[in-house]
Amino acid sequence: MLELLEAWLLRPNFLAFVVLFLWSFSIMVTTRNLVKQLIGLYIVQTSVLFFLIAVSAKSGATVPVLLPGADPVRAVEYANPLPHVLTLTAVVVQVATLGVSLALITAMYRTYGTLDEEEILKRME
Amino acid sequence: MSRHLPVLLFLLPFLTALVLPMVGLARRAWCRPLALAAVAGMFVLALVNVAVVLRHGTTRYDFGGWAAPIGVEWVNDGLACLVMATVGFLALIAMIHAGPTTPPSLAGREAPYYTLILLLLSGLTGIVFAADLFNVFVFLEVAALSAYALVGVAGGRALVSAFRYLMLGTMGSALYLLGVAYFYAATGTLNMMDLAERVPALITSKAIVGGLIFMFLGLGIKMALMPLHSWLPDAYTYAPDSVSPFLASLSTKVAVLAWTRIMFWVVGPTAEIEHVPVLTLLEELGAIAAVAGSLLALAQSDIKRMFAYGGISHIGLILIGVSLGNPTGFAGGVLYLINDMVMQAALFCLAGVVVTQYGVRRLEDLGRLRAGDPWLMGALIVMAMAMVGFPPTGGFFGKWYIMLGALEAQDYVAVGAVVLTTLVTLAYFFRIFERIFRDAGRPSATDPRPVVPWSLKVSVGVLSAAAILLGVASDPLVSVLRTVVVPAGL
Repeated sequence: MLELLEAWLLRPNFLAFVVLFLWSFSIMVTTRNLVKQLIGLYIVQTSVLFFLIAVSAKSGATVPVLLPGADPVRAVEYANPLPHVLTLTAVVVQVATLGVSLALITAMYRTYGTLDEEEILKRME
Repeated sequence: MSRHLPVLLFLLPFLTALVLPMVGLARRAWCRPLALAAVAGMFVLALVNVAVVLRHGTTRYDFGGWAAPIGVEWVNDGLACLVMATVGFLALIAMIHAGPTTPPSLAGREAPYYTLILLLLSGLTGIVFAADLFNVFVFLEVAALSAYALVGVAGGRALVSAFRYLMLGTMGSALYLLGVAYFYAATGTLNMMDLAERVPALITSKAIVGGLIFMFLGLGIKMALMPLHSWLPDAYTYAPDSVSPFLASLSTKVAVLAWTRIMFWVVGPTAEIEHVPVLTLLEELGAIAAVAGSLLALAQSDIKRMFAYGGISHIGLILIGVSLGNPTGFAGGVLYLINDMVMQAALFCLAGVVVTQYGVRRLEDLGRLRAGDPWLMGALIVMAMAMVGFPPTGGFFGKWYIMLGALEAQDYVAVGAVVLTTLVTLAYFFRIFERIFRDAGRPSATDPRPVVPWSLKVSVGVLSAAAILLGVASDPLVSVLRTVVVPAGL
């Protein structure tokens, strides 16, 4: 138990990821307001991105741009660009999702006049 | 030239989707012919691609000239080309069907509507060919975002289903991305071929096991595997009748394909976690989904919802087939995958005809169909035979090879699940026919007999013919599947 706790405390990044993920997931499933659910979903996605960045962070590394005179190239000094590019792509995906979901919420609000999920289900009958 | 076919297959719908809104601005009437032409072009290219792959074998495509594992890679192998041909064929039929069944409320918004359909198809093409875990994620999202929008496109009740689909689908993508991040953290690569060399040695690592579970959960939501299916029935029931055939036949099955790729081409069929073979777990999950999905279908009173649950149970059957751990079962699973795509398209096309032309949604009103044309009833009988699994339809041969594979693996749970699913499927189609042929609800002479447009007759007829043809031609098809589709090491 103590070892587990120590292992957790040694990795505050991952602990933060777990807290963010579970917290936002609980927001997603427990609130009735559609916009709040959406906020929960958005933080779930962001927490996954946070995990990607936490895995790829490297202290003391610089941007992976090869300057003239950098010979021999020492890969240790550079940050790995791939996870960051993945994060960037995933952010774009996330923004697109946000756009579609906001459009759907707007359409629902126009149709049913409320953002409360239970209320919408009631008015659908 | 033939090397570029997968990319052309993606670019054709994608570029048309980009051009379509501009064309729609000037000439709204051109949108539908243009989209139809793009999809027809996709089908032709996909057929050429099948011929090329069967003759010259698997090809790999490196984007931007960067060789894998540094660059992004697409793989054009037997499985991808056959599924792509099915996707192209069904997209064409569903597009023909989409004309008269498009809801009237969409009039004037054809350009964005067809753009969404083409984006969905380009996303699915990407998933079929991608040989890179992150690339699969991107295309899953392209396809899924178009699917959410398409479900909600006609407004009304479908908006709520679309929003739920979006919440669960995005959760699935987030879980899949988390799994990809785990894999990347453990191996430092995203290319499937490269991963296949590293993952088997690391299979005991918690990161790989965790990543595999997260990817499975994510794709499980996308493929609507039984406990994760709750978005599907509502989304397919309330989606516009012109959209349901696309979604039902294509999107969940392509997610199954993505999972099959990861399971068999990256992790390997012999993978074990704590002495439990992963394939056994998958096969049990498939058995649960198959039986429970068909039982839920039996309990429905809305025809589209009934067919949707039928699709959920068939996802389970496909998963049983591919997870049996022998080539017969795998070939049977893939054969059933192709069959199920055709069957789901046919069922939802039929449902589209029944709902839009006869105004019948509920099971108890089905008696009104007797006023209709014999062709409709004929198609329904063919599709019922295919779904239940009577010879000579493809559904029979798919189940037959899955059963052979299960017997070969001496896996009697799988045998029992397939038999039980077949019996329950028979029961729910019996309910449909009982409603149609029973005296109560007999159509009166004054009931209008709708004039069904030829395009609906063509789409339903061609799909019924395809369901039979897949059965008649199953022998050569299975021998092709056994040689080009079955992964190494099975």
